[in-house]
Amino acid sequence: MKFYLKRIFRILITLAIAGAAVFLAQKLWVRYMDSPWTRDGRVRADVVNIAPDVAGLVVKVAVRDNQFVHRGDVLFQIDPEHYRHALAEARAVVDQRKASLAMKRSQALRRASLDDEVISRENREDTDLAAAGAKADYEAALASLEKAQLDMVRSVVRSPVDGWVSNLLVRPGDYAQVGAPKLAVIDQHSFWVYGYFEEHKLQMFHVGDTAEIQLLGSGLKLQGHVESISMGITDRDNPTDVRLLANVNPSFNWVRLSQRVPVRIHIDAIPDGLTLVAGMTCSVVVKPSAKVKS
Amino acid sequence: MPREFALLDALVPTLLLAFIVAAIGTLVLDRLFAWLGAYRVIWYPALFRLSVFGCLFAGLGLWIYQ
Repeated sequence: MKFYLKRIFRILITLAIAGAAVFLAQKLWVRYMDSPWTRDGRVRADVVNIAPDVAGLVVKVAVRDNQFVHRGDVLFQIDPEHYRHALAEARAVVDQRKASLAMKRSQALRRASLDDEVISRENREDTDLAAAGAKADYEAALASLEKAQLDMVRSVVRSPVDGWVSNLLVRPGDYAQVGAPKLAVIDQHSFWVYGYFEEHKLQMFHVGDTAEIQLLGSGLKLQGHVESISMGITDRDNPTDVRLLANVNPSFNWVRLSQRVPVRIHIDAIPDGLTLVAGMTCSVVVKPSAKVKS
Repeated sequence: MPREFALLDALVPTLLLAFIVAAIGTLVLDRLFAWLGAYRVIWYPALFRLSVFGCLFAGLGLWIYQ
């Protein structure tokens, strides 16, 4: 009897430990595979491509690479000579049209005071209309002047945002084309995180849930929350061919890889002194709120 | 606890570290149990050792991925 009790006790201890191991291993599996977190996160920021509004030679670059600039700071200067001349020309045209308008007006006034026996009605009407035309010409010249002034102002390229100049390759002497980007400015206030979550994890959290961002290779944690979830990604298995026919990939059926869906995480606060670079890798752990769990 | 660590500049999940720590821990506990004579009250020492390893590894993993 005692022998059997001892034997049962031995078996029970071993099985209890084995059971605990299985239980914990299963919990770890669920935690690792089925909780809303991803190692595939990226720090992102809005980048403004700075392109000049007027063409010309670059005469001065006022910033250094990676320099911090405020909104409105001068980035570079395009040679204003052409635009200065254009401005002078526009002013001259305005003066000329103004004189012409004065002449046509006085002619019209003079004819208006004469009666039908001295000049024909046609002649009087013509001078009235010529005065109206001269007024329109004068206004067009004023608009051209304003445009020339705007070109002059736009020959100084300024930063539209607070941020950092990046990849500065423009040099004095380069020719700047209208609309061709010359440098990039990274918006200081626009940093966010894209967490690429596997599709089956999307059901586990909702917009507004808190998220923890761990930058790669550092113990630093940033707090954030789920801002939005992307509502569409490309179907990689079905690119349309040139004749607009479907091109379904004959995929291997056994292993199905889950797609990654971008989830936008808003960073609540960026600690002072932290160098946060757009493009950094991070892990994102979403903590679903209790309301959602139930 | 960071979720990955640098192994020769390649970043791998900390789970690998937990695996190594659990293996060493199991060896140490094995010596300790042998010295205490605990294996006399164990039914199947090999299964017991494996289970101890499983508990250590899963426990560490759950702590890392809280």
